[in-house]
Amino acid sequence: MSIEDTSTPTSSSSRLQRYADWAVYAVFIVIILGAPMVIDDVFWLNRISKYLVFGMLGIAIALSWGYAGILNLGQGLFFGLGAYMTAMSLKLMSATSLQQGSDKPVPDFMLWNAEPGAVTDLCCINKGSFLWIPFQSQWFGMAMSIVIPLIVAFVLSSSIFRLRVSGVYVAIITLALVLLVRLLLIDAQPITNGFNGLTDLGWLTIGGFEFDPYMVETYYVVAISLTVVLLLGRWLVSTRAGLILQSTRDDPTRARYLGYDVAAYQIFFFTISAGIAGFAGLLYVVAAEFASPSFMDIGFSISMVVWAAVGGRNSLIGACIGAILINTVEATVSETEIFKEAWKLIIGGVFVLVVLYMPNGLAGIARDLLARFERRRKGAPAETAPKAAE
Amino acid sequence: MSDIIFIGLSLSSILLLIALGLSITYGAMGVINMAHGELVMIGAYTAVLAGLHLGLNLFFALPLAFVTSGLVGLVIERLVIRRLYGRIIDTLLATWGVAILLQQLIRLEFGLSFFGIHIDGLGPGLQNMTVPAFLTQPIDVAGMTIQPYRTFIIVVTLLLAGLTWWLMYRTPMGVQVRAIMRNPQIAAACGIDVRRVSALTFAYGSGLAGIAGVLLAGFKTVMPEMGASVVVDGFLVVVVGGVGSLLGTILAAGILGQINGIVALLSNDIIARAVVFAVVIALILWRPRGLFSFKSR
Repeated sequence: MSIEDTSTPTSSSSRLQRYADWAVYAVFIVIILGAPMVIDDVFWLNRISKYLVFGMLGIAIALSWGYAGILNLGQGLFFGLGAYMTAMSLKLMSATSLQQGSDKPVPDFMLWNAEPGAVTDLCCINKGSFLWIPFQSQWFGMAMSIVIPLIVAFVLSSSIFRLRVSGVYVAIITLALVLLVRLLLIDAQPITNGFNGLTDLGWLTIGGFEFDPYMVETYYVVAISLTVVLLLGRWLVSTRAGLILQSTRDDPTRARYLGYDVAAYQIFFFTISAGIAGFAGLLYVVAAEFASPSFMDIGFSISMVVWAAVGGRNSLIGACIGAILINTVEATVSETEIFKEAWKLIIGGVFVLVVLYMPNGLAGIARDLLARFERRRKGAPAETAPKAAE
Repeated sequence: MSDIIFIGLSLSSILLLIALGLSITYGAMGVINMAHGELVMIGAYTAVLAGLHLGLNLFFALPLAFVTSGLVGLVIERLVIRRLYGRIIDTLLATWGVAILLQQLIRLEFGLSFFGIHIDGLGPGLQNMTVPAFLTQPIDVAGMTIQPYRTFIIVVTLLLAGLTWWLMYRTPMGVQVRAIMRNPQIAAACGIDVRRVSALTFAYGSGLAGIAGVLLAGFKTVMPEMGASVVVDGFLVVVVGGVGSLLGTILAAGILGQINGIVALLSNDIIARAVVFAVVIALILWRPRGLFSFKSR
């Protein structure tokens, strides 16, 4: 029984398909890098930069779900961890942390809740505050945004895949874990500010340059990061390891009999996917200036999967475009109250229809259209065409 | 001590109430129905509407909610799930869409709010169901205070679990359902109308969700989002108990409810829920097929 229907984009693609594939990448990259030349409203640029971050989450989902066949319903965990790590650093850089009658930065919410007479220093203002000390370095926070998700994902996936847990159970474990961490985060109110999350953050500062979220430069940081991640991801799945990974997705037992360490490939790609999600969290905090436990809501993690499903679960760029498209349309229609409510009806219906009638999403439709065009041009059905020696 | 056990027991019974329907739709049919919570929500709204417009109390609302949620479940099965049997992850995604649709339909009063029409008891706001007075007065029995509503929930849950067991193991219909669970192709070859039986099973599971909704409405605020938070708990219970095992579901609900109750007493509610999630993760890693299970489709 196959859990989902999968088509392998890399195996039997013709030359035309490969060209078309690269053309889509090129056009996409040109559009996201060129957008500031057309859009001069910084408010919209900031919004779009957030959606580009969601596009990066789409890539992370496609990598683990489409290419590895591992449905991670807890991707929000890695996104959230990444966001919090950077947000802690930016919180300490915020003016609000320095104006509290102390010469050392201390988050305002810690001072509000501090015992009378407590030392206003990160070392001992409350029990857990010492954890914040290294985050006084912005680079430490940013590094942790990627390192912590990588470590958590490595430990988690090692236990999951070494024990050969698969399919739906992976989804349920990741789901339970993101809920677990969300609760712990809320419960650790003295050091995480609980439900309220971290707000009033400072700006990312590199070499004296402050990246105000409402500036073209910040947009470029996000857009260039997305481009790099997209191309790296694309390269990664076309490597030998990427091809073996796809074989473990299609038939883990056969891959195991061929002598491949299936778990090792699954762990590797699951971890990379988590790292990308953590990086996305970092960028989101830079663009949106807050981190909140809502990043770890189940709804958000499932939404990511849905974006990828609409765009095309088997295509990195498809999932990325799906995420950006859905969010941009949503933001546009949400301007008016009636459409905002109706939009939810539409999006609910769209999810159902996509799953029922286009399991490979927009990317699948594009691929089918191209294949049909190719067949017509050749004047013969593709099935009977002799296979080119590769 | 008996107090703690009673708290755990009442938490368990609520878990079981939600999980009972899921153990049928997920356990027996291999459908991850993310809209299960919304079927619970529809049950709760049925009770609210029946109280407001028809003057019916809780006891009449129970069968009414069973029928309403069951019918909605039947429609979902017809339109969506029927096309997705065997594609378990896709059932999760599609029913997530269904869940959003149902939530929004209640919030928008079936779209009537676009035309400025308002139905009492619907819409985005909070609703309440009134519980008959004799179920809210605590009773003293032999020095112990008994909350009648909690007791009522436990009794109804046990009755429903018993009924479900009887249906599954003592009726010809149940034999057919269990045959389909084991192997749908062979079941079909033996002359079982798989489509019809599957549809009815799904409707029954949905109906149970409706009853759960009515009982939840007695002590929780009724709102369009109320279902989203319960569905995950229900799934964890079913998975821990073992897919397709009714007894497993009952025991898992008992264990997780007691853990939740005891830890909540020692620390707080948030930590209690976190501990439950940690236990669930450990159990799934240890026994992915659940505590009690047999091989199924």
